[in-house]
Amino acid sequence: MSELYGKSFRIRGGDFEHGGEVATRIKAVCKDLGIRPDIIRRLSIANFEAEMNVIMYANEADLRFEVSPSDLRVVVADRGQGIPDIGLAMTPGWSTATPAMRARGFGAGLGLPNIKKSVDEFHLESTPGAGTTLTYAIRLA
Amino acid sequence: MPFASPDPAPGARPPGRRSIVFDAKRCVGCVTCCKACPSGAIRVRGGCAVADPELCIDCGECIRWCRHDAVRAATDTSADLERFKYTVALPSLTLYSQFGKDVEPGQVLEALRSLGFDEVYDLSAMCDMHASATDAYLSECGGPWPKISVTCPAVIHLILLRYPDMIGNLLPIEPARELAAKLLRRRLSAEKGLDPGDIGIFFITPCAAILHSIHHPVGLESSYLDGAFGIAELYGPLLRAIRSIAPVENPPPLSARGLLWAMAGGEIAGLRDANTITVGGARDVLRVFDHIEEGKLQAVDFIEAYICPDGCISGPLAVEGRYAARRTVQQIVRRHSRRAGEGAAVPEEKVRALLHEHFFDLEEHLQARPLRPLGRNLEEAAARRRGPG
Repeated sequence: MSELYGKSFRIRGGDFEHGGEVATRIKAVCKDLGIRPDIIRRLSIANFEAEMNVIMYANEADLRFEVSPSDLRVVVADRGQGIPDIGLAMTPGWSTATPAMRARGFGAGLGLPNIKKSVDEFHLESTPGAGTTLTYAIRLA
Repeated sequence: MPFASPDPAPGARPPGRRSIVFDAKRCVGCVTCCKACPSGAIRVRGGCAVADPELCIDCGECIRWCRHDAVRAATDTSADLERFKYTVALPSLTLYSQFGKDVEPGQVLEALRSLGFDEVYDLSAMCDMHASATDAYLSECGGPWPKISVTCPAVIHLILLRYPDMIGNLLPIEPARELAAKLLRRRLSAEKGLDPGDIGIFFITPCAAILHSIHHPVGLESSYLDGAFGIAELYGPLLRAIRSIAPVENPPPLSARGLLWAMAGGEIAGLRDANTITVGGARDVLRVFDHIEEGKLQAVDFIEAYICPDGCISGPLAVEGRYAARRTVQQIVRRHSRRAGEGAAVPEEKVRALLHEHFFDLEEHLQARPLRPLGRNLEEAAARRRGPG
């Protein structure tokens, strides 16, 4: 489908200071584009979780946001430890978060399930030791 | 037409729904106000600044920064007083801070009465009760966190405009000035046998945002206040009147907890729970709200946010410098807390009962005023967002 708008963001692992900023910037773009508020809200939840996943577990990632006439699409490709067992990672409540992360209020094991719940299309691919690519989309029509 | 035209007659109400008036005769088109505006609402058209009524939040930064005295708040006039049989002045607590540390609130109220109001009313007790209601509400509500104060109407407008997802974070309690006017109107019409419509209750305001909230309320079908006068307009006559009013020997103590509401930090100072944040100044407020939107401050219970840097004492219609005013508030609070003690004015059980009776509730749901998209459809908006090239 033809791309109307696209923008890439770099997210660095461990960069808690700027956590959530990519989600906020994408939200601002969506408002400019006149995207429905309920769709923006769903996308922002997914973006925030995806961004925090990179910050907590990966070395770095490129988050690509694309708008087409039919959907909003996000691809997060990280370079990191990868996920050995995707089925386990998708289980609500399962987490590898450290106590330090939990002390910050993260690491409840709900990140990936929350993303899946918020979007219409969800695809997760991982190579342990190399990295993870997460793709999700919300339909506009 | 995206922008309202400059007001042709200074003093008249601005076109559209705003409370800020640009004087075409004085404006030199220097764009100082455009740069100061936190909402990006001001443009210069035909040599005079104009504010986009959709973007303006009435914060008054343009009034504060204009060096040519070309921006004013469209406050009410004494002609507006004549519409009423019985008039009441309800001053912002900021007014007490404008005349130096030795002038007592009681003298300020007396001076205000001498300007021609039938009655004057001290707001500190209602602010005190509001703090208790906030405490009670925070202990009973289930989030979303943090809750955000509704005292500053410019902050509310900012949320409706730019942070619609945070509407649920706004504390759903009417501002103290509105609660006070509601009670006062009831009491006066009962006591004096007056038709409620014949009572005119006027706020003495440090800012254009409160003025605007009276003529165009949100969360209320209509304001319980009938209008507002700016502190700056009344300052000269008040100062003259205060000089002829001797301080009372042992004035009845006012609520110290309530008096603190004049300045940033005052609203949370009265709360039992210290898990709170104070933020002042438009740019810092935007930064903190971005953090709330990013989900970073969910562990905070309550945020007191003011569009003015130091809360109401730094309002654009205040006269005394904000640092001197802060000192004066501290002095007055110290005198009154020594006499009254630090406890709440109204017992907690009573406040909780009122809360459950919905006495404090906002009357209407707050509606987002989302910004217009960049284009008429997705294709056009995306093309504009991409920009040229």
